Amino acid sequence: VGKKVQAIYLWWHKPVIDKELLQSLPNLKVIANSGVGMDHLDLKLVASFGVKMANAPRAVSSTTADTGMALLLASARRLVEVHNISISPSMEYCEADILGVKLAGATLGIIGMGSIGYKIALRAKAFEMKILYHNRTRRKVQDEQAVDATYCRRIDSLLQQADFVMLVVSLTPQTHKLIGKKELELMKPTATLINISRGAVVDQEALVAALQTGVIRAAALDVTSPEPLPRDHPLLKLKNVIITPHLGIKTDKATYMITEEAVENILAALSGLPLPSEVLPS
Amino acid sequence: MWHHKPAIDEELLQSLPNLKVVASSGVGIDHLDLKLLSSYGVKVSNTPFIVSTDTADMGMALLLASSRRLVEGHEMAVSPDTEYFPADWLGVEVSGATLGIVGMGTIGYKVAERAKAFEMKILYHNRNQRKKEEESAVGAVYCKKIDDLLQQSDFVLLAVNLTPQTHKLIGKRELELMKPTATLINISRGLIVDQDALVEALQNKVIKAAALDVTYPEPLPRDHPLLKLKNVIITPHIGSATKTTRWVMMEEMAESIEAGLAGLPVPREVL
Repeated sequence: VGKKVQAIYLWWHKPVIDKELLQSLPNLKVIANSGVGMDHLDLKLVASFGVKMANAPRAVSSTTADTGMALLLASARRLVEVHNISISPSMEYCEADILGVKLAGATLGIIGMGSIGYKIALRAKAFEMKILYHNRTRRKVQDEQAVDATYCRRIDSLLQQADFVMLVVSLTPQTHKLIGKKELELMKPTATLINISRGAVVDQEALVAALQTGVIRAAALDVTSPEPLPRDHPLLKLKNVIITPHLGIKTDKATYMITEEAVENILAALSGLPLPSEVLPS
Repeated sequence: MWHHKPAIDEELLQSLPNLKVVASSGVGIDHLDLKLLSSYGVKVSNTPFIVSTDTADMGMALLLASSRRLVEGHEMAVSPDTEYFPADWLGVEVSGATLGIVGMGTIGYKVAERAKAFEMKILYHNRNQRKKEEESAVGAVYCKKIDDLLQQSDFVLLAVNLTPQTHKLIGKRELELMKPTATLINISRGLIVDQDALVEALQNKVIKAAALDVTYPEPLPRDHPLLKLKNVIITPHIGSATKTTRWVMMEEMAESIEAGLAGLPVPREVL
């Protein structure tokens, strides 16, 4: 059977691609990933077997941006907390106690202004938010102006000014634990951290400490390390944390679109044609 | 007056012979008998515009939370029983979907501005059609008949004020016109919706889900079926509940009261 396999469509990081598997599939030509993140793959190893790799960048950006905005809004308006109050058997709540944060006029700091980060900026602008961004490289002036975004060459500058910090970077050795104790302490005590990247971009222990001691106000995490977290993890018990089960691109439409992209890449690889979204080891 | 208390009736007005002004928090004044108050020479004010942005934000928060199953997802993420996240657990796409806004006043329009950034197609139903420039700015298409909006929308958002004409605007018939994959979002008043019909529609999958910042009454009795449905998000009427906005509302109410007591024109007077 192993000899027949020419393509793998990787769904939700499974199967795990290791040396053993690659050796057992001598005719494997391509691995197509369902999604854009490739941090779960050893790109060099796969390439060394002459196997091409592709991700699905086009389909994910709007849906992931939507996830980021959903978390931003849910956190700002304490949605999970108040829903639980609304349906709880005890009716005793004082409405004056459940105030949220006004978005209009607040500052959103986007760390990672790729396609997804940019779509978040487009959405946040409609909520009349001020937008700062930090990226490896600065965007074109027209792109910045279209969303009224101000570039922060230094991440510290963004962290100090933002009311909401949204992480939209890909996981690389450079972004691993990008947000640690120092970065959290630079943030305003009234600020919220939103992570739709990868759990490993944040020093999770430092985050727990920061949330427990009021160094930052709240966090909303679509991604953690690992997923799911162990059931006794402190993050699960904090009142000022929303955790979602890697919603990312989990919609009917996005699932369809990434599968279409993956199939395009697989067919191209099997025909010896250039792949629409090939990923090379850097 | 906060959260519609105290209830203003003839008895109360008779017991307060020197009452000059009632400053009501928020924009809705459906809880006040304006004719009665006028007959006692009492002026009424509200805080109409300051609430618009936060209320529109709340509408979008509910739309996104409902479509992406955020509350359910959080529960799964923190539940002691969760061992893994199922790969086939999906929500509904917002980007590119059709939003039908019922009531295109200040709040409805702000919802449209926000929804446009999500690449949503926007339909709207209103007593009057908006100006062409206003429509083009948000890409909104007018539906003279509410039925057209209901039949085409993936999300139906109610942003009307409560009047005798909008009372039970959304009933069994309207819910049945909606797509079975559609979600109803209410940031207006509970009475705009026939709540019993809504419960039935949700239970029988006539519509997919509902997200309600308002109900009738508020809060609902603890044994109400809406509290138990998995496909319902309920929030305790927090449309305008942000620190910044509440502060401004208080300032505006104080300003209206001071003017009323000084016999000056009352800012934000409701006639």
